[in-house]
Amino acid sequence: MSLEESSKVTRMIILGPAANISQPELIRKLHMMELPLTIKSTCYGAVVNGEESVVNKAVEEARNLDYCNVFTKDRGFPPGDPRRCRAKRGGAREGFHQLEKEFELLGFVSEALEHPKKVSLKKPTKVSVDTFKKIAKECEK
Amino acid sequence: MKIAIFPPNSLILADLVERRGHEALVLQKEIRKRVTDVEIDSPPLNITEEEPIKGLKYAAIEVPSGVRGRMAIFGPLIEAAEAAIIMEDAPFGFGCIGCARTNELSMFCLRKRGIPLLELHYPTTKEETMEVVNKINTFLDGLNKEGKSNG
Repeated sequence: MSLEESSKVTRMIILGPAANISQPELIRKLHMMELPLTIKSTCYGAVVNGEESVVNKAVEEARNLDYCNVFTKDRGFPPGDPRRCRAKRGGAREGFHQLEKEFELLGFVSEALEHPKKVSLKKPTKVSVDTFKKIAKECEK
Repeated sequence: MKIAIFPPNSLILADLVERRGHEALVLQKEIRKRVTDVEIDSPPLNITEEEPIKGLKYAAIEVPSGVRGRMAIFGPLIEAAEAAIIMEDAPFGFGCIGCARTNELSMFCLRKRGIPLLELHYPTTKEETMEVVNKINTFLDGLNKEGKSNG
């Protein structure tokens, strides 16, 4: 690995299930930014690799495409790294199962970001027999 | 502010922290240093014999080398943290947190630091997720105000 490569950072851009843009659209927009980046198209969105300031700029702009539905996180390995890439190893990439699990919640997270509201986690309790009797009597009248 | 998150590779936590303008201390940044280092370019890639030795700072010699090796990576993140968010009971699929003893030790170290800490449970339903997001946002906004009043 060259010195130049070791100074680069990689970020994953993940589209939430309710995103207003599609994955090919995201890739196209990233290319249209004309930034010196390596862009990899993936099933969940994209992986971008490059100098930190450039990657941050691209991530910021990608987030602005759909603020509540575009999620990003850092990635240690560069895109297509033979030590991690599925094409070379076979089977699911490390981290895929985690992403799969978190993706199940992304829709709810997007909703919470878009329409924040207070929620109660208390389960509704059963009506006591006395209260029920009282209601029944009132109805009989 | 630098916020440590647990699980340290969580997408949701890292993303929410960054949305509020803080820096998330994620595991991937530490891993990146190890896998893109010009000196390390052959398997096992991210852990060298140096790591279990560095891990002695956090765990005793009798502790398995796997825990010490992991702590050599988590440790610097815990030390750099100015606040922390812990989400317990994450699913098994969260790769790097497959070692239960390391998880316990990492959470213990975070709690022992005495920094502002938010403890949550991994959400499974819509209501729980909304509650978690609300709590995280309130916590992070509180840190902002605290930082401003101190600065």
